Amino acid sequence: MSSESALSAHLLSSLFLSVLETMASVVLKTFAGLRRSSDNSHQFPVQKPAKVHFRKARIVASRTCPKLSNRNLRVAVIGGGPAGGSAAETLAKGGVETILIERKLDNCKPCGGAIPLCMVGEFNLPLDIIDRKVTKMKMISPSNVAVDIGRTLKPYEYIGMVRREILDAYLRDRAAENGAKVINGLFMKMDMPKVQNAPYVLHYTEYTGTKGGVGEKKTVEVDAVIGADGANSKVAKSINAGDYEYAIAFQERIKIPDEKMAYYENLAEMYVGDDVSPDFYGWVFPKCDHVAVGTGTVTHKGDIKKFQLATLNRAKDKILGGQIIRVEAHPIPEHPRPRRLSGRVALVGDAAGYVTKCSGEGIYFAAKSGRMCAEAIVEGSENGKRMVDESDLRKYLKKWDKTYWPTYKVLDVLQKVFYRSNPAKEAFVEMCADEYVQKMTFDSYLYKTVTPGNPLDDLKLAFNTIGSLVRANALRREMEKLSS
Amino acid sequence: MSISMAAMFSASASLAPSSSHWYTHKPLFSLGPRRQSSVILAAASGDNGGSGVAISVAEQTPKVEAANGSVASASASASGEEEASVAVLNSFKDPRWVNGTWKLKQFEKDGKTDWDAVIDAEVRRRKWLEDNPESSSNDNPVVFDTSIIPWWAWMKRFHLPEAELLNGRAAMIGFFMAYFVDSLTGVGLVDQMGNFFCKTLLFMAVSGVLLIRKNEDIETIKKLIEETTFYDKQWQATWQDDIRKD
Repeated sequence: MSSESALSAHLLSSLFLSVLETMASVVLKTFAGLRRSSDNSHQFPVQKPAKVHFRKARIVASRTCPKLSNRNLRVAVIGGGPAGGSAAETLAKGGVETILIERKLDNCKPCGGAIPLCMVGEFNLPLDIIDRKVTKMKMISPSNVAVDIGRTLKPYEYIGMVRREILDAYLRDRAAENGAKVINGLFMKMDMPKVQNAPYVLHYTEYTGTKGGVGEKKTVEVDAVIGADGANSKVAKSINAGDYEYAIAFQERIKIPDEKMAYYENLAEMYVGDDVSPDFYGWVFPKCDHVAVGTGTVTHKGDIKKFQLATLNRAKDKILGGQIIRVEAHPIPEHPRPRRLSGRVALVGDAAGYVTKCSGEGIYFAAKSGRMCAEAIVEGSENGKRMVDESDLRKYLKKWDKTYWPTYKVLDVLQKVFYRSNPAKEAFVEMCADEYVQKMTFDSYLYKTVTPGNPLDDLKLAFNTIGSLVRANALRREMEKLSS
Repeated sequence: MSISMAAMFSASASLAPSSSHWYTHKPLFSLGPRRQSSVILAAASGDNGGSGVAISVAEQTPKVEAANGSVASASASASGEEEASVAVLNSFKDPRWVNGTWKLKQFEKDGKTDWDAVIDAEVRRRKWLEDNPESSSNDNPVVFDTSIIPWWAWMKRFHLPEAELLNGRAAMIGFFMAYFVDSLTGVGLVDQMGNFFCKTLLFMAVSGVLLIRKNEDIETIKKLIEETTFYDKQWQATWQDDIRKD
């Protein structure tokens, strides 16, 4: 497929890339076995290859798809963030009876708030929900070497900074306009169906009217559920999806004086270093009229406040005179849950764990996975006329893994190589000064695809990367000699 | 504004006083005139001399300098010296570090740049910054790039000694392996090179010397191999489910 080979001409060395290519092709081949039969009562034999490779091939056993006689398919979307909103919209447009359950309609989810350019086009977002268009980024190494990236951006390219409450509300309202029913309620638990094709019974507490009211317990029966309720997903708990490792992201919103705010007009900063975070980065992102300064970590969650102090210190000159207006934190999943699908319940977005490594980007992937899952349901149910079953939902997983696994893998490799230690972070910042790197990085980030790079440039990049890493590590060994 | 900020900051960062210590001392006693006139993002700490600091934090900026003066002069010599020395250690200072990079002219020896000295200076700077992280500033940006040091300087300093070590190890292992095989089988060195098994042994010896340089490397290599496929396993996990539910 062109996307894999194109993606394989991504950032690092051509060695990495060829290894990835072979891995991807092995992975994809075994998927050829998954088929759906349109015949009701056939039982296909299950094939299992003798050796366990990357994935085991399996032919779907049977498919019962009774036509729904007097109603459309009912699907509940739990969670009204980007994933839930876009899933509900696609379902409603596809003729499925949709309800969207969201616990807090004005929730300001703690978030970096960065969306890639392609999201604006793909989801038809109006430009007024974008507070700021970031066109420059500054990467700052542990020894304060500062590199500006963004020279290669075209005039119409930018990273959009949004306020989550605005984006989420817009997507939910659009879903409601298309026919989804938005309910302000908190999902509590669900009862699994006892018989095949029996509905799921969802228990939730609906909040009506009075502020501070306790809300009334309600239940609703649905045929399928999309769990889009974020990192602490209750839906995931209900289906025993398993746990994932997560990072803690801690952020302080700081209102800084206007002349300092002008510096952050369309610039975001990334600070790397062991003082700021041992396995992630610290950031200063401009929001509508203030900046968000934060950091995150997976392995040293207890020291997060120390890391935050270090980030504030590194940015001190530029945020001096600022006033902290809000402190917030949230977990960020590091990898997908062991089980993203069970029966007719599927997880999307943060609930499934679709956050990339290295950059921690989640909004676009949440919205896209919500849409993809909804599309699979709409297609499997033939616009809401038939019942769906697990194999229809598995198609969404298959499509998702095929489209985006290379992206996730490359970012994972980057994180493993460049966030490993201070010398690696120095090398990372040095590499970012290279124009080819900037172009490839932004192209892949903004459009979520990669135009094939020049193999000669890739080779040069490989040499430069290895050179940077070697130099930085050599300097570090000398540093250790100094301290001993 | 500074009062509310100090209050908010101390409320939000409920940490032991020692870790916010650099906030109180650094900005107040800094050398640069710019810093003294700006409002500080700091919380009062309980360090010695901190009581004087606490008073000055709450007041407006002009009074900060006056309080500084009075605290510095009134305090005992010991604490005064300590604060003075803290002030000196405030930021990285080196006569050859100019405008965010190393001035290569200062490293000249016999008309040519002494690259080893540049490397030493950069090492010292990085060590300093690791122990005392500094704020990155737009007015004094750091623009030093290690690639200005030519490749042969790196080779000479780092690669050659390591290469000597590894070649020495390989030579010793090779000599004794050749002797050992010869004594066991009677096959001489030249004939050994023609034998496939011996060539395999040679390959293993060379790669062993290259990859395993310290005892810890064996564990590191095992962990690395596991690491390369760990993320993939996490992604596959949901498909294992598909098989089990047969």
